[in-house]
Amino acid sequence: MKPVKSPRHIVRGLLIALFWLGIWQAASMLVGKPVLFASPLDTVKALAELLPTADYWSAVLGSLEHIALGFFLALLLGLLVGIAAFRFPLVKALVSPLLTMMKTVPVASFIILVLVWFGSKHLAVIVALLIVFPQIYFATVTGLSSTDKELLELARVFRVPGGRTAWQVYRPALWPYLNAACASALGMSWKAGIAAEVIGTPARSIGEQMYLSKIYLATAELFAWTLTVILLSMAFERAVRWLLRKVGK
Amino acid sequence: MDLNISGLSHRFGDKVIFDDFSLTLRRGGLYGLTAPSGRGKTTLLRILMGLQVPDAGTLPQGVRYSAVFQMDRLLPGRSAVDQLLFVRGGKREAEACRAFLAELLPEGSLDQPVGELSGGMQRRVAIARALWAESDCILMDEPFTGLDEDTLHKTADFILAKRKDRTLLLSTHQKELLEAYPFEWLTLP
Repeated sequence: MKPVKSPRHIVRGLLIALFWLGIWQAASMLVGKPVLFASPLDTVKALAELLPTADYWSAVLGSLEHIALGFFLALLLGLLVGIAAFRFPLVKALVSPLLTMMKTVPVASFIILVLVWFGSKHLAVIVALLIVFPQIYFATVTGLSSTDKELLELARVFRVPGGRTAWQVYRPALWPYLNAACASALGMSWKAGIAAEVIGTPARSIGEQMYLSKIYLATAELFAWTLTVILLSMAFERAVRWLLRKVGK
Repeated sequence: MDLNISGLSHRFGDKVIFDDFSLTLRRGGLYGLTAPSGRGKTTLLRILMGLQVPDAGTLPQGVRYSAVFQMDRLLPGRSAVDQLLFVRGGKREAEACRAFLAELLPEGSLDQPVGELSGGMQRRVAIARALWAESDCILMDEPFTGLDEDTLHKTADFILAKRKDRTLLLSTHQKELLEAYPFEWLTLP
């Protein structure tokens, strides 16, 4: 349900945004060196200069493609393996050490290993996948396990077909868990994906552009790229949650 | 086919619920089951449905059951119509299903999420669901709990009309309110 925004709320939101922009501006003036700390105005200017360039859009699309692909592959795989693990205890026991490892190994180790093994081309895809997969997997297993046992008994007594039980009993139990996992995994997939790109500098990527900004000490550009990532990540999250809501109805 | 239960024995820990208990339900029979609580009314129904495995005994095989459980067990957030369609039929049945429910519940309530209905109405949805489903034998565990006397009679009429020729066994502690109906009364040892 969407809260209705009253004009008062909008004004308050704007004032809060202005307050933090003011802090940002003041901080940049205190530092006094645009090379180290770009002001909001510098950032917007840098972004405005980047926006019409082909390089900008090529990097944005490149990163979006890779991270989205990694995310959706992880969503699909996490669901499939999670369902299999829920259904067959042997599968659960089998994949459990792998999942524990994926959860505990530092992202940086993954990034370097993937670079060594596969090169930088698909780096962000694989890293996003590795980060998101365990979250979706655990949410799937936990969500399915939370299914109301009494409804399952009912379905059994009435001989309700398996597919219908899956859709009408298991799915509603799974959904809140999947939603929560997606919300946190979405942000993490962008953070880890971009971090991987900065380290591996694949062509056509935001990470590569950030790395270049660092080399040229183009701080305003770095800020503009960061702003881009924030906006992309937010838009992506909205799109995925909208999709989930559609399927979840 | 008659339903034969024989040599049924079951215990919970030290407590013996059934000891070599036998019972025959004639095909198409209408049975009321009364017994003080704790004598195993619910357990008997659960054993019949295959939800509980008895320590010993022979049970009828291949019987299709439908049931009203002690709790309503409705799909949360779904309408009364959805509850019935869950146990029988797809979109094509929706109209028939609606007409079926409308005999027991106000029309306006059929599309509301069941959580918004009163307890008594949810109960009636669960009862209608058991009768709507395809089955050979209908088991109802205290179906009239929470219904006022008027509704109870209306619901009992509905049950008798809609069971058609199916065997029906219901447990109740309100036998005196059902004297007007042709139940064969059973009790547990």
